[in-house]
This record gives sequence, C-alpha cells and structure tokens, in this order.
Amino acid sequence: MATVKVLDPISRIEGHLKIEVSIDTVRGLQQVVDARATGTLFRGFETILQGRSPLDAPDITQRICGVCPVSHGMAAVVTLDRAAGIAVPENGRILRNLVLAANFIQSHILHFYHLAALDYVDGPNQAPWQPSWKTDKRVSGAAANALVGNYVAALAMRRKAHEMGALFGGRLPHPPTYRAGGITATPRPERIDAYRAYLNELIPFIQNVYLNDVNTVASVYSDYFRIGKGHGNLLAYGVFDLDSTGEEKLLNRGRWVNGRRDVLRVDVGSITEQVRYSWYDDRTANLNPASGVTTPQYPKRGAYSWLKSPRYQSIPYEVGPLARMWVNGDYSNGISVLDRHAARALECLKVAEAAMGWLDEIVPDAPVIAPYEVPDSASAYGLTEAARGALGHWLNIRNGRIENYQVITPTCWNASPRDGNGRRGPLEQALVGTPIKNQAEPIEVLRVIHSFDPCLSCAVHVMRPKKEAQVFTVAMGSGPAACRP
Amino acid sequence: MQVSRRQFLSLLGASSAAVVAGLPLKSFALPAGAMKVIWLQGAGCTGCSVSFLNRIAPTAPHSVDEVLLDIVELSFHTTVMAAAGDQAVSAAEAVYAQGGYLLVVEGGVPTAFGGATCWAWTRNGVDVTFKDVVTRYASKAAGIVCVGNCSSFGGIPAAPPNPTGVKSVRAATGKKTINIPGCPAHPDWLIWVIAQTLAGANIALDVLGRPIELYGTTVHDQCWRNGMEHATEFGQDNLCLLGLGCKGPETYAPCPVSMWNGSANWCVDANAPCIGCTEPTFPIGRPVSVPAGGGDDEDDDHEDEDDDERRNER
Repeated sequence: MATVKVLDPISRIEGHLKIEVSIDTVRGLQQVVDARATGTLFRGFETILQGRSPLDAPDITQRICGVCPVSHGMAAVVTLDRAAGIAVPENGRILRNLVLAANFIQSHILHFYHLAALDYVDGPNQAPWQPSWKTDKRVSGAAANALVGNYVAALAMRRKAHEMGALFGGRLPHPPTYRAGGITATPRPERIDAYRAYLNELIPFIQNVYLNDVNTVASVYSDYFRIGKGHGNLLAYGVFDLDSTGEEKLLNRGRWVNGRRDVLRVDVGSITEQVRYSWYDDRTANLNPASGVTTPQYPKRGAYSWLKSPRYQSIPYEVGPLARMWVNGDYSNGISVLDRHAARALECLKVAEAAMGWLDEIVPDAPVIAPYEVPDSASAYGLTEAARGALGHWLNIRNGRIENYQVITPTCWNASPRDGNGRRGPLEQALVGTPIKNQAEPIEVLRVIHSFDPCLSCAVHVMRPKKEAQVFTVAMGSGPAACRP
Repeated sequence: MQVSRRQFLSLLGASSAAVVAGLPLKSFALPAGAMKVIWLQGAGCTGCSVSFLNRIAPTAPHSVDEVLLDIVELSFHTTVMAAAGDQAVSAAEAVYAQGGYLLVVEGGVPTAFGGATCWAWTRNGVDVTFKDVVTRYASKAAGIVCVGNCSSFGGIPAAPPNPTGVKSVRAATGKKTINIPGCPAHPDWLIWVIAQTLAGANIALDVLGRPIELYGTTVHDQCWRNGMEHATEFGQDNLCLLGLGCKGPETYAPCPVSMWNGSANWCVDANAPCIGCTEPTFPIGRPVSVPAGGGDDEDDDHEDEDDDERRNER
C-alpha cells in the first residue's frame, strides 16, 4: 500500500507549490509511484489588465513575478511592437537583450546556489539554513566547506548581475525602461564600460566556480543523471534576437520529441490549454491562447490544480534551459535532474559571453526607441524565454484598450496537472520512479522539483476568472478550505 | 557535514557587523539574543525578497549575508530556507509560540472567498490560508513590517477590479504596521527599519504608515533633473520627464538619493518616468505608462476619483 506524502510548502522556489507524492516499494526499491502538483495561489492579473492602456502591459506583467520580471517585460514589449508593426531600432534590441541577459545570469546563479544546492549539502548551523533534512547529504568535508563558501560568494555575484542589468534597466527587479518601440535607457559610454567590467567578473565566476560546483555535485550524485527524466519532450520558443527580424536568435525556437532524431519547428497555433484536471469549465478545453477563455469551476470532479495544462498537439512538453540548449544543439548528454543543472550552468556561460559581444554592436548616439502609437484594434502575441522556460503573451486591443490578455508561463508547462488524455504534467511525470531513502525526509523529491526551477507566482497568479463567473464559494468545515469561482 | 557559524564566517572572511545606519548593533549580533524574524509571502511576486538580496552598502551590514549571519535570525522565509513541508511549518510555529518576533510581510492579504485564493501551507492535513496565518502571527509579533506596496497598500493585486479582495496587512489585521512601500521595496529602506527596530527607536510614521525619515519628500523635490528642460520623447538623456507622465511630484520616496542596485542607476536616470510605486494609488492613478504628450484629460479626472476612493478604503 502506497504512502501519500504531502509537501507544502515547497520552499526554495518562487511562489506557492504543494506536491503530493505516493510512495511505495516496487521490485524492492522504495520510490515515488504517483505525483500531483498543485499551485495554491491566484491573483487575477489578466482581469486587472482588461480595459487598461496597452502601454501598461510591460510594467504590470513584470509584477507577475519578481524573479523573471524582465522576461515578462520582454514578452509584453515584443507583443506591443508586433501589434503596431513597429521596427525596434538596433540599439533598442541590443539593450533589451543586455538587461534580459543580466537577469538570466542572476537567476541561474541564484537557482543553483540558493534554491537548489541545499538539497545536496547542509548549510550553516543557524536559521534559515537550519532546520534541514539530513538524509543523503553526500557533499562533505572540504568540498562542503567550499560549496557553502561559494553559496555566499554567489550571493554577491547574483547581486552584481542585477547591478549590471540596472545599467540599462534602471533598476532590478522590475526594470522601468522596457517600452513599446524600444527602451528608454541610452548606451552611455560609461555604462557600456561598467557592464563590461561586471561581465569580466561574472564570466570567470561562472567558468571557474559555478561550473566547477555543478561538477562537484554531479560527481557524488551521478545517479541523478538517471533520475527525473519525465516525458522527454522539450520545447523552446527561443530568445535573444540577433537581428531586427527576430529570425536569428542566440537560442533558437524548436521542439524535440522523445525518441525522435530531429529538432522540429514550432507552430504557435498548435498550442492549446487543457482543463480536464484543472478547476475550469470543461467546455473551455483545447483553446489556443489567442482565443483563450478562463471559466473557473469549483468543485469539479477529479480536478486538483489552478494551473491549466498547456499542450502542444495534445502532448506535454518540458521547457527550460535544458530544452533551449538541446534544441539549439548545445547540449545532448541526456534529460535528468543533473542534466538540467548542467545545461543551465552552460547556458549561463553562453549568455554571458554573448552579452560581451553585443556590447561591441552598440552604435553610439543612435536611437534606442521608435515612436509608438497604440493601434485602435489589433491582435498579437510575443514569445520569449524566462530563465526557467518558454513564456508567451497574447493580446487583443479594442478601441485602443486591452480587451483580452493571456499569459502562458514556463511553470504552467512544467508543473501542469494531468491533461484530457490522463497524461501527467512534466514535473509530475519526472517525479515518478524517484527512489526514496527515508519517507520522513523525501529530499529526493525536492531535488527533482528544484531541477525545474519552478516559479509558481508566474504560473498561477495569472489565472483569470470570468467576471460573470466570479462567485467563489468557500467550503469550510469539510476538510481543507476550498474555493470555487 | 555541518559548517559551524564560526567556520562559516572564517570562510567568508566576514567581520561581524558593528554599525547599521549609525546605530551600534554589537549587542544584537547572533547567536545571543538575535531577533527572530518570520517573513511571510502572500499575494505578491517575491520581488521584494529578490530586492532584499541586492543589499550592498558602505556601512554594515554591507550585504545580505551579513544581515542573515550577524543581525537577525531569519526563522521562516520560504524562498531561502532549507526546510520544506512540515519541518518548515514547525519552525514557524515554534517561533510563533514564543512570541516577540519581528513579522515581515511581503504580498497583500486576499480576503475574498474566505482567503482561499492564497494558502500559506498545509498543517496536519489541512490547508491554511495566508489570511489566517497573517492574522494569527500578527497577534504575537513584537512589530510588523510590510515590505513592498502589496502588503503596505494592496498593490497591483488590489488594482481594479481587485479579483481576490486583496487588502493591506493593516486593513486585514487591524494592527499597526510599519509600511515600506515600493514595487519592489529598496533593500536599504527595509534594513534601515530593521536597524531602528532593533535599537528600540521610535520610528515616526506618516498617515500611510511610512517612516517619515524615508518617505518625507517627493521624488521630484530630490530629483537631479528637476528644473531641467522637459523631455518631449523617450530615450533622451538628462531631461526632466514631467511631460512623459513622470509621477515624481506626487510620489514620496528617496529614490533619487538611495538610487538602486548599489547606485548603479535609478528609474529617472534611465529616462524612465517615475511610476509612483511607493504610493497607495499605484497602479490605479494615471496609466502606469502614458504616451508622449501625456494621457487624456477625461481619463485623468475619472481616475483621480478612483484614487480618492482607494485612499479612503485603506
């Protein structure tokens, strides 16, 4: 008989996530036999955006998430650019990329050291590093001292990456410079120099410390190259446009299906959201976000999450640095917990080195932004990547105002519940089969979860209850507090 | 393998903090008598936590590691703590039982639908709402600090039509709070408040619960670009941004002085108009973004009424 273990809160992620795993012994090995991922928070950003000026979208959608605000800003301005058919000046494209690159670097460093590393090494003997689970902490002795020391060094490095991004972002998190048509900051020579100086510090850290520490963990946890694979389908929208058309990217768009040989193209129209196990009306299943409808329904038989299930041609896909590096041809070792960490670290280096080159492409005194007029009516979408995976915004403008705004976040892909075919979401599937040493301290579950770098504010907070359906009913006294829209 | 605090510090070459904002802090150094801090996250985005990590200053605590190692005992903060699940909840409950901790709240308090749009955690098999946890934990706190616009005033989640009935912590709990608004809040502002609290100082607050020392002057009055020629389009350096919708004149915050990210930059010096993120009207007032030439007057009148209503509500 399987034991059901609820982990809530999942810490060292962004946002609120509850994970329920069933643990049983199969062929002599105690392991996870089933998993359910539930996001437990809802803010209603899409409703808040309705009726506002489209120009508000970059600033407001950034506040969906304080860890990946720049990506939401990027998705929003790209959507607005496309809605008006605006060509962004070259400097605008480059400076937007530089701010986003800075946030990728800070997010990847933060993720490995401050969100994930404590699954492998025990921290200092005081809060917030204690209490902690002691099970299976294999990094010990001098290696542990070094790793914990680098945890602190990494705090400074991720801070510096944010300072670097603020040079053209104004401030981080939540940079105010991203605007439709380009960016407001100019490439003053002293700021270009300062950005380069930060990179000259960050690149050696990534090369010599971050990559080395990933190797240290990998050397004593090599079994985690075989744990947490999941469905094995990978999807990337691509990011860091290298020309004004957006055709050329540092990390390309594409998808990879488990067992197939070639990277396949992405057709945005093939993305739909399913709701069979989500608290939404089944009649809204399988809609493309361009015509997305969100009609909450609670209680609903079998449903267990506020996340919908985004699917591509009805198939679940994992998104994130591993997906990006894989479809770009930069990584092919495998799909697992450690492969996710390795691909993330290698991507961090790739982005930092590319940013160094972009500094030389800036044209002094050339414009950074084109004049922008909000179209009276338009539909557009913008695809980009957050540090943790593919991010898309979809916008309808009517009478110069936002009529509809839909967001599909990376964690909605990764932490989605089962779909209409009963297939688990990528994170759920990756948990199945994970060996568990000690049921009381299932640290292995945290390792699998953290390898995806989930960001639940993004995933859940954007759900949009229909105005007319806004009647949550609280069912108290019958178990957990529950609500329905 | 555990690293003791002493070993840890020697690894870092870190010296213990002596002074914060001119106040002697030695007596507060860990481990003896360090103030316990519980940091709860509700309807927010974690941006204020990320901003807190960006602390860098010429005076101690120079950076966030010094804050955590030398100044406060951060007993609960889900983004950084090692513990998860029951172990994490038990850590918070143990500190709650003792009382006398500093409660830091990030994110607003959803009150619609019984608070069920935001759960804090699962305890003994029961999902506990953020609203219940904040209310309960506020009752035994030595002080309550609201970091960011959401916990201070409701912020973006409370913007019309406020889909989840988000309230400020003050409105939801009826307790006095020290508000450090900003979207995000600046790390120096939070650390200043913590230092004052540890020193037992009486912090003078304005009617909105903000420390007057920090929020007593408008951005415009402190702005380097005040008095300069007005910009007429975006992307122009060294010009006043009033014509582009800058909210500096109605926004109380020390941004031009504190700047952001270790003085790397700040909004206006990146040619981005102030969006008024330390005010209770954010983001209700005029559009967060206005096209060059300003917004249209009709809308402004309408939204000013919203502003008044919102101030009254809070």
